[in-house]
Amino acid sequence: MDAGPIYVQIGQNVRRLMAREDLRPGDKLPSARELAQTLGVNPNTVVHAYSRLEFEGIIETRRGLGTFIRLDAPVRTMKKEILRKAAQRYATEARALDVSQEEAISMLKEVLDAGTAS
Amino acid sequence: MLAQLREVTKRYVKTEGVRDLTLDIDEGRVMGVLGLNGSGKTTMLKLMAGLLFPTKGEITVLGGPPRANRAKLVYLGETDALYAWMTPHDGERFMAGLYKDFQPERYHELLDFLDVPRRKTKAMSRGERGRLRLAMALSRDVKLYLLDEPLAGIDLISRERILKSLVREWRTGATIVLSTHEVAEAEGLFERVVFLKEGRVALDTKAEALREEGKSVVSTFREVLG
Repeated sequence: MDAGPIYVQIGQNVRRLMAREDLRPGDKLPSARELAQTLGVNPNTVVHAYSRLEFEGIIETRRGLGTFIRLDAPVRTMKKEILRKAAQRYATEARALDVSQEEAISMLKEVLDAGTAS
Repeated sequence: MLAQLREVTKRYVKTEGVRDLTLDIDEGRVMGVLGLNGSGKTTMLKLMAGLLFPTKGEITVLGGPPRANRAKLVYLGETDALYAWMTPHDGERFMAGLYKDFQPERYHELLDFLDVPRRKTKAMSRGERGRLRLAMALSRDVKLYLLDEPLAGIDLISRERILKSLVREWRTGATIVLSTHEVAEAEGLFERVVFLKEGRVALDTKAEALREEGKSVVSTFREVLG
C-alpha cells in the first residue's frame, strides 16, 4: 500500500482517471462496497473518499441509482492541476541539477517531440 | 458503545495474559488487534467472548456480561478444531442446529466465494479448512465478530480471499475485531488499530491518522513493538 491516507489515494485515482478521460462526466463509479472489495480496504474508507469528492463537486450520488461523475465536473481544471504538479516535480529536478531555464525547456520540448514521433 | 473493558487483568497461573486493559469499542467498526506472540491478543478476544473470566476489572459486551451474550457474538478461535468427517454440508446442519441467527443462503455464497471444496475436512488443506471455518463464522448474523488470527498459517491466495470476504460480508452496524500478525495484508481493512505489548495497550489509534503522518500500520507495528 502506498503512503498517505487511503481515502486521499482513492480521490487522487478518481481525479487521474478523469483527467485521462478514462472516466467521463456521467459515468457511474463502482459502489463503495464493490470498490472496497476490489481494493481490499474498509468500505467506510471508500465512503469517506466519495463524500470528499462529492463535497468538491466532482461526483454526485443519485438516490437508488449510485454514484456518478458530475456532468459539470471541472475536468479541464483537474487536468491542469495534475500537469502543474508534474511540471513542479520536473522543475525541482532541473533546479537541483542546476540547469538553465532554457536548457530545461528545450529538453522538455525534445522529449515531447520524441513522444509524438514514436 | 458495543463493548467496554475497564481495567481488565487476566492472570494465568504464572503469567499475565492482559494487564489493566481499558478500551471502548464502537459499533460498526473494523478494529485490528496487533501484537507479537504472547502479547495478549488471544486472551483479550477470549475475555470478550466470555470464554475466560477476568481476574480483575469489568467487561461489558452488547450491554451485558460477555457470558450472558455469547449467543449474540461470533468467536472464531485460533485452533483448527473441525471434525475430521465434517463436510461443508454437515457444517451447515451443525451451525443451523446451534444458532438461530445462522443464514444458510449467506453460507452457500461464502462457500462459493471462498472456493471451499465440498469434501471432508480431513481431505482439505489448512487454507481450505481456514476458509470453511470463516464461512461458518461469517454466516451468522451478529453485531460482533471476534476473529482470532484468521489469516495465520494460511496460504497467500486464501488470505486474500478471506480479506475480501470480510469486506464483502461486513455490514454497517457490525463490528469486527480481528487479531493478526499479517499486518501488511490486512492494513487497508482496519479503521482502528490497537497494538498490544506484554498484555498492555502500547498504542491505540486510527489507521488513517497514522497515514496522515506519513506512516503505515506496518511501519508503526515495527516502531511500537519491534
